[in-house]
Amino acid sequence: MLSTVVQHPSSYRDPSGFIFEKNETTFRQVNISYKEHFDHFIESGFYKNLCDKRLLIPHEQINQNFTGDNNYYTTLKPEKISFVSYSYEWSFDMLKDAALLTLQLMKEALDHGMILKDATPYNIQWHQGKLLFIDTLSFEIYEEVPWIAYRQFCETFLGPLLIMNYAKTPLPQLQLAWPDGIPLAVIKSLLPIRINLSFHTYLHIHLHAEISAKKQGSGNQSQKFSKQKLLNLISSLEMLVGTLKLPDHKSTWSGYYEEATQRDGYLELKKNIINRWIGKLQPEIKTAADIGANEGEFSTLLAEKNIQTLSADFDPYCINRLYAFIKSNDTKNIQPLILDISKPSPAIGVNNEERNSFIKRANADMVLALALIHHLVIGKNIPFLSVAEFFHSISKFLIIEFVPLHDEKVRFMLEQKNTTPNNYDIDNFETCFEQYFTIEKKELIGGSDRTLYLMKRD
Amino acid sequence: MILFILYIDPGSGSYLVQIIAAAVLGVVFFFRNIKLYIRSFFTRSSKKQKDNPPS
Repeated sequence: MLSTVVQHPSSYRDPSGFIFEKNETTFRQVNISYKEHFDHFIESGFYKNLCDKRLLIPHEQINQNFTGDNNYYTTLKPEKISFVSYSYEWSFDMLKDAALLTLQLMKEALDHGMILKDATPYNIQWHQGKLLFIDTLSFEIYEEVPWIAYRQFCETFLGPLLIMNYAKTPLPQLQLAWPDGIPLAVIKSLLPIRINLSFHTYLHIHLHAEISAKKQGSGNQSQKFSKQKLLNLISSLEMLVGTLKLPDHKSTWSGYYEEATQRDGYLELKKNIINRWIGKLQPEIKTAADIGANEGEFSTLLAEKNIQTLSADFDPYCINRLYAFIKSNDTKNIQPLILDISKPSPAIGVNNEERNSFIKRANADMVLALALIHHLVIGKNIPFLSVAEFFHSISKFLIIEFVPLHDEKVRFMLEQKNTTPNNYDIDNFETCFEQYFTIEKKELIGGSDRTLYLMKRD
Repeated sequence: MILFILYIDPGSGSYLVQIIAAAVLGVVFFFRNIKLYIRSFFTRSSKKQKDNPPS
């Protein structure tokens, strides 16, 4: 292989091809062994059909062998994804929609004489305002056998959704604990006993787990399985996933903006300052990350300026509501993400390289960290310097709000903690952040004692 | 084909459960479709009555 070509560390499972990077552009090589399937995928009109429906990421076909690989058939250049996210960073409804998308693709594939040979949330990414399928080489010519990816679907989509549905609580961490899918036996053990009464769940989880436990080894490939049987199986999964829901819940941060708006025009004044500062920085700012975004009030402000915005919060309910808002308004440039800064997603997989850490993936022109610092430094005891280092590693510009000790919200937090933090003052804040940034602007938000800073990475 | 099919291990349990599930679902969907047909028949006829109220 040429030295400029780097195969993606997660792209080793599928013999049909692989992802590689060349000069910071992502390509997908299609191997000669996948030729028959790829040609059918394109010539049957299936690829065009999926792109027209915005279900699959479009690509440009480049007939050039960049890798020098003997297995080369063709090269694809897919549209660029601005930020790669994983299902353990998605809200309940995002995972549910990803599951329904997978089943829809399976039905579309069968209409074109193909099937999906794998069914994992890693094949789905956020792109231009919605979740869509990215693994172009997942489709294979249908041969009247049972669905190869059935168990994978049950373990990576259905299981986590069922557990969250019955526990009535968001549990994205489960997918981080079992990144390749929660084993059926574990799913079964985590579901309540009364679930035995649910016909479709019993079929896909309980019976599935029991039979799998008794019968190990490779499947009988010669077993005929008609298209109608496969469609019945998909319909059953679709019906089951469709009924699953996570009841909305008033979390600590629900209704934050309603409360904040009542504070003497505080939100409006903050928006005015941010608008003014961003106005002067544009067009330099193309991407942003709103950290501690709640339901995305300020992300919307950035998105309206055509800034591609990652809207992150640790509250899964807030992110679920933001996702619903994006869906109903067809907002294109806000990407919702569950992120806890005190423990951002780690790197996982083979050599810790398959799924990158949040810090390695994030690279925004600007970060917005509003009304957040006191939660990190007082609430979580994270030093100013560590917070500054985190923002420095992910962004060039930083707009951050300092909330003083005598602020009503901070006083409330301190009462709860029954302690007074050392060195939590504006001078120490500035000293620590100046080790990583240059303070470009500083302005008091009228009607409060909070200060807004615009900083630039050194 | 076998090369591709085996790149994730389906396990024979998953194949067998699909065969059992498909048989059961075939029966379930057959009766469900009859139920839906009957329901739509009556819904249609009652809708027709509403559309053409007696003069």
